[in-house]
Amino acid sequence: MIRYPAIIVVLLTTAALVEPMPQSLVQAARLKESLAIIVNRENPIENLSMAELRTVFLGERSHWANGRRITLVMMEPGQPERDTLVRDVCRMSESDLRRRYLQGLLTGEVLVSPKTLASPVGVRKFVFNVPGAIGYLRPEDVDDSVKIIRIDGHLPNDAEYPLKITE
Amino acid sequence: MGFSRGLLIHSVRRRVLWLALAGILISPNLMQAQSGQTVTVDQATMQALLKRIDQLEARVQQLEAAQHPAAPAPASVEARQQQSAESPTHGPSQAAGQEHEPEPTEHAEAERMDVSKTLLRIRGFGDVNLHGDNYHPAGQPGDKTAFTLGQLNLFVTSDISDKFKFLSEIVFEAGPDNIYGVTRGTENTFGVDVERYLLTYSQNEYFNLSAGRYHTAIGYYNTAFHHSTWLQTTTGRPLLFAFEDQGGILPIHNVGVEAYGSIPSGSLGLHYVAEVGNGRESRSPITDEPVQNIVDDSNGKAINFELFARPTKVPGLQFGFSMYRDKLVPETLPIGVRETILSAHVVYSTPNFEWLNEALVVRHTPEGGHTYETPGWYSQISKRFGAYRPYFRYQYINASPNEPIFPDIALRAGPSAGLRYDASESVALKLQYDFTSLRNQHSVQGLEAQVGFTF
Repeated sequence: MIRYPAIIVVLLTTAALVEPMPQSLVQAARLKESLAIIVNRENPIENLSMAELRTVFLGERSHWANGRRITLVMMEPGQPERDTLVRDVCRMSESDLRRRYLQGLLTGEVLVSPKTLASPVGVRKFVFNVPGAIGYLRPEDVDDSVKIIRIDGHLPNDAEYPLKITE
Repeated sequence: MGFSRGLLIHSVRRRVLWLALAGILISPNLMQAQSGQTVTVDQATMQALLKRIDQLEARVQQLEAAQHPAAPAPASVEARQQQSAESPTHGPSQAAGQEHEPEPTEHAEAERMDVSKTLLRIRGFGDVNLHGDNYHPAGQPGDKTAFTLGQLNLFVTSDISDKFKFLSEIVFEAGPDNIYGVTRGTENTFGVDVERYLLTYSQNEYFNLSAGRYHTAIGYYNTAFHHSTWLQTTTGRPLLFAFEDQGGILPIHNVGVEAYGSIPSGSLGLHYVAEVGNGRESRSPITDEPVQNIVDDSNGKAINFELFARPTKVPGLQFGFSMYRDKLVPETLPIGVRETILSAHVVYSTPNFEWLNEALVVRHTPEGGHTYETPGWYSQISKRFGAYRPYFRYQYINASPNEPIFPDIALRAGPSAGLRYDASESVALKLQYDFTSLRNQHSVQGLEAQVGFTF
């Protein structure tokens, strides 16, 4: 008969003793699975909506507000970072995206075809050196040489950040 | 539905709670496992694991860098600029100690002036066809079933500088031209046309200026597909947008200047195109090149304005209208003819679904005379199922028998149905059936197989 009150006491005590995962660890876990969008530090842009990001990566937008020509930097096909961007931002398949770029070049809407690089280091260096460049990296591959921009007002360590890498 | 789902979730939660309680009862050591000491151990383990992951990732980066040393010699200025952008001499590792990093565009400019390297990038498009129909005009031999070489298109671009770029479509094309119903040239010879030849200055998102030979911004199709059958769903362009040398009625090409860009309009996504050019050759009938590349038959210039929207909330949707004005001076008429082309389009195009709708009217008004209106429209729909894409198109053009500029058009209307199969990312096979009704003639049925490709 006294068993159930004892259980309740046990539960309450347990709940009090269990320490929630520290916020820093939660953020670290989120960072591990997020895809950061990076631009050159000179670029005044701080935030893009997902719709705007899509127009940028589909080549429908050619210049930044400061007049710099947008240069897209992509990682090689098959890498999880690129797969995430193609699926969640461009919302199409890899072959459809390539076809779209080709048609964009033909119509003149895409000024320059995207630059494809093999390594995160290459992407980071490219964005560092080209003022109008925009690319993407895992947050742990980003350093102070480039700038992470917000997407829909969120940074990669926010719970609501919309770009999550799927391996 | 939502209520049931809520009940289900509630029920599941209750069951989970009871299972947790049962677990506690069964496992007397659980309290100890939940103690603060155990959590501390977990944190330490987690931090150690994260640190280990960082170390491993750093190692992977080192290996990747070793595996991908300097890229091979790039073939374009863009690649050269980008290679220099990747160069460790400008790398982030040096950035911390440098207040003034060298401007990469200066380096790129020097690269562009290196005459030992080409600035050109070339992409090719082509198609080969097998076509047969029952067209048999009175007193003339009918068409024969034949293999036909389509256009071989060399699409050349050059990234001249940060603000300037060049593009061109150099097309090798077999067969005679057919301008206003007059055949020019011989059946099996090849000719070369520079179909587009355009230098573009890009100031910003809102203002781009091009000079040269371009595709007139009338409607959607003419500036969406240009000279590539591979990009098109069907085997050919709609009759409305047929090229001038294939009997088309519109000024598909123009030589002059055009300004274009987006208009600040938020999610509506407005764009404009404004063009001034020589317009189309207007002598009727003619046997000369219909595009006035060098000389114009009048001092007046053709003007065109297009406004269209691409709402960001509905990706793939585009709608707009255009107005084209010119004055034609046909040799067969003692007076000039005012030409006005009004067009409107609503298009929804995504990788898996396409629905194109365009309508226009061409108005020709001889000075002091009657206005002849030639309406035309088409609707095309297709849906992709894996590598297959069935499609259907209905098209219509109806010109008056007395139309002063289009003596050979009359009525052309009918459906087309076909299937496109993408054999690879760069090769498409198409099979299309066409039925075309003609005024005072037997209707024409045709069947065409095509392989279109890009290279």
